[in-house]
Amino acid sequence: MNDTLTSDVIGRRVSVNGECATVRFYGTVPPVAGLWLGVEWDNPERGKHDGSHGGTVYFKCSHPTGGSFIRPHKANFGVDFLTALRDRYEDEPEDDAKKQIVTIGNIPVETIGFGSVIKKQSQLSELRDISLRSCAVSCSGDKGDIASTCPNIRVVNLSQNLLSAWEEVTDIAEQLRHLEVLDLSENKLRFPLGSPAPVGTFAALKVLVLNRTGVTWAEVLHCAQGWPALEELYLKSNNISISERPADVLQLVRLLDLSSNQSIDENQLFLIAYLPRLERLILGDIGISSLHFPDAGVGCKTAMFPSLQSLVLDDNRISQWSVINELDKLQSLHSLSCLRNPLTVGSEAKTHLQFIIAKIGQLRTLNRCEIRPEERRGAELDYRKAFGKEWKEAGGHQDPDQDRPSEAFLAAHPRYQALCRKYGAPEDGELKTQQPFLLKNQLLTLKINCPDRPDQKALEKQLPDSMTIQKVKGLLSRLLKVPVSDLLLAYESPKMPGREIELENDQQSLQFYSVENGDCLLVRW
Amino acid sequence: QRECLSIHVGQAGIQIGDACWELYCLEHGIHPDGFILDNRKDQLESAETEHMDASFNTFFCETRAGKHVPRALFIDLEPTVIDGIRTGKHRSLFHPEQLVSGKEDAANNYARGHYSLGSEIIDLVLERIRKLAEQCSGLQGFLIFRSLGGGTGSGFTSLLMEHLSIQYGRKTKLEFSVYPAPRISTAVVEPYNSILTTHFTLENSDCTFMVDNEALYDICHHKLGVERPSYTIINRLIGQAVSSITASLRFEGPLNVDLNEFQTNLVPYPRIHFPMTAFAPIISADNAYHKDFSVADITTACFEVSNQLVKCDPRLGKYMACCLLYRGDVVPKDVNAAIAAMKSRNSVQFVDWCPTGFKVGINSQPPMTMPGGEMAKVQQAVCMLSNTTAVVEAWARLNHKFDLMYAKKAFLHWYIREGMEEEEFSEARKDLACLEKDYEEVGQSF
Repeated sequence: MNDTLTSDVIGRRVSVNGECATVRFYGTVPPVAGLWLGVEWDNPERGKHDGSHGGTVYFKCSHPTGGSFIRPHKANFGVDFLTALRDRYEDEPEDDAKKQIVTIGNIPVETIGFGSVIKKQSQLSELRDISLRSCAVSCSGDKGDIASTCPNIRVVNLSQNLLSAWEEVTDIAEQLRHLEVLDLSENKLRFPLGSPAPVGTFAALKVLVLNRTGVTWAEVLHCAQGWPALEELYLKSNNISISERPADVLQLVRLLDLSSNQSIDENQLFLIAYLPRLERLILGDIGISSLHFPDAGVGCKTAMFPSLQSLVLDDNRISQWSVINELDKLQSLHSLSCLRNPLTVGSEAKTHLQFIIAKIGQLRTLNRCEIRPEERRGAELDYRKAFGKEWKEAGGHQDPDQDRPSEAFLAAHPRYQALCRKYGAPEDGELKTQQPFLLKNQLLTLKINCPDRPDQKALEKQLPDSMTIQKVKGLLSRLLKVPVSDLLLAYESPKMPGREIELENDQQSLQFYSVENGDCLLVRW
Repeated sequence: QRECLSIHVGQAGIQIGDACWELYCLEHGIHPDGFILDNRKDQLESAETEHMDASFNTFFCETRAGKHVPRALFIDLEPTVIDGIRTGKHRSLFHPEQLVSGKEDAANNYARGHYSLGSEIIDLVLERIRKLAEQCSGLQGFLIFRSLGGGTGSGFTSLLMEHLSIQYGRKTKLEFSVYPAPRISTAVVEPYNSILTTHFTLENSDCTFMVDNEALYDICHHKLGVERPSYTIINRLIGQAVSSITASLRFEGPLNVDLNEFQTNLVPYPRIHFPMTAFAPIISADNAYHKDFSVADITTACFEVSNQLVKCDPRLGKYMACCLLYRGDVVPKDVNAAIAAMKSRNSVQFVDWCPTGFKVGINSQPPMTMPGGEMAKVQQAVCMLSNTTAVVEAWARLNHKFDLMYAKKAFLHWYIREGMEEEEFSEARKDLACLEKDYEEVGQSF
């Protein structure tokens, strides 16, 4: 390979002991003799420097330890598509005599029918669904070879190979007229600035996976002209920022995966809001914390994302209820996943999930769990009750003529009025907040005085307000050593000085007589 | 022609059947109305796919009009669940006579399913089976889908299996049984029903693939991220497993190409016929294309407890037989490498006297998933069927629960009322105790 290397080699992708890199330099590096390749590793910590050596800048890396010099023969420049294909699928059926017996747990492993599988797979022209992942594919090979060898391929996994430019991909795809699914993940591709691929190259392509390829949005749109039938597009982990609206491209796309692109913010989402067929949008792990649809007012439906049925917002920073309120504006949304957001983790998580169900009326699936009708009903009733007090304080009223909740309340709870219409406005009784029923909340601290017996010390006791007068007398009888039948009780309250109220009915409770905390019981016999 | 009849009994059996036939139709390119999708038809012209034609006739019967009718029978003692099929997406796929329903359900009671109500409907069912069998030129046997804990699934199935043994003597009978989940019990008497039906069916069944609801719930939770899976998702998961197990019956394949082979490969003794199923990979649709699983990865995954469909620990037991069936774009080279890497795992222990060995096969037909479903489509998958002594854990758990209730004679009157006797309970329990002993014995070293 050494003598055939030319400066063309710059930009090529290579693999060295399993680690991938891009060639950035080819030449001499004095004072050491011989030719060197300067490479920028995919792993920024793998290298020794950033392309400079001994004061001279040979090439540039984006990371101080991203580069190395290596001898050309150490780099694997990969193979062409067909060589990789043959390597993987064409095999000699093993001679039984030469076959090595593998044992697992002392039992020989018997492979059945491998001979016919190998034979079948060797018929390259019949192959339809193949994977050449990590096969060091770096180019398409001679023109026409692929078309004559394996024209029927429909699904190709070319992830983690050494393809370096989009042109190489189109060279391959041009010869696979039936190509429907193409996975190019983890190939760092250079995209063309000039005219896109010839018409018809990706005519049948339905699914394209470009995860971790470093592609930019502009490059996607530019090449998308050549993907007229595309239905699913995966662009995970590319550090993408959506920079422009897809004007005439991506119009049939039903699924868009933009997960793990931390540079996306909510304003960029407006640019993809009018893709007519977009049904499923995956926005996991993009660091988003808010979302809004400014074209629709409170309680109205937005014209954005008209076909969106399923939205994935896992692993983000959503902590505001306003986001959930905005999601209710989507016309077709019926499935939402928002796991691992501040709003949906923690001690309040279960309650919050119920509120999410209540706030988005047409939701049928939340976090991949189906929302059953009883569950929706329960969630909506709970939500209505939980915010009933706030609603009243904001001007809500059971009588529709007087019902005028403030704008701030309606903005925070857009579905509240609809829920009131569905289940009726919350009754006042429902809204009373329960005092926790602890015994200590029910106890009255009372002074006990014996006005006719000055030598008797005043006592203080804590009695439950439900205690009957008879029982109070019994208690006092034991305390004062006086028979129950001799006791006469009355009480006076600091709120009404000078006035004594007789406690004459033994069957009634202290509460019946409105005895309150701090009052004084008067005992006579 | 080696046709297989699928019989779906009770709610579990029927709903699993729904998921299975839905998946089979997808895999064979059959529309919900029974006709083949147009573009596939062109391919059928090519010589290679003539085999495909022959193979899927094991499961589908082609009418003169070109419609493909499943060779299946759905039976329930009450109409609600079957009505779901009658009015569902696949209503035109089945002939009305294939959907048999009674009027009153078995109320989670083995006795009602077996004696009182079951006996009223058994003749009709056998007649329908006879009709389906007549359409076959060389019936291999039956695949029976049912739950162990339900009334119809337990009671009616044991009655049916007895009659099938009498009428169809030597035809193989494979079962797919849903084992009651300890933590997600739907009826408190599930242990009773399960023990009774297992005792009764033990001699009549040739091989039973158990599926444990708890294992399925855990898979849905941990691998698919669904905390509270609906029955739809669980049944689709089971459908994937069943599809893997029956793949070689329906497509040209190397391993387990007919029902007898299952027995030969997996069952060393007639009573020890409960292989465990595991399959991989199981990936959520939201994570499609996020991570790649190599052949080595999915092979290792099969030996992990989290990929098993029955909760038990094979590391504590010994294997008596093992079958690995790969599906999709898998090359022999990769499989050989994956197996060689497995060699070093000393947790895989076989019994000393192992007759069958470790069989590995590849079926090139790619695995498929329902569009819009919870699982992502993958290019390569693997299903492992292993007969391990560890599965006795499942029986031990169930026997224990049975004992707890039986000691107090709890709920027995429901069964006695329908004409059963206490002796049947003790007999059944004794049989299961013997089963536990049998497993212990086969696992012992010389």
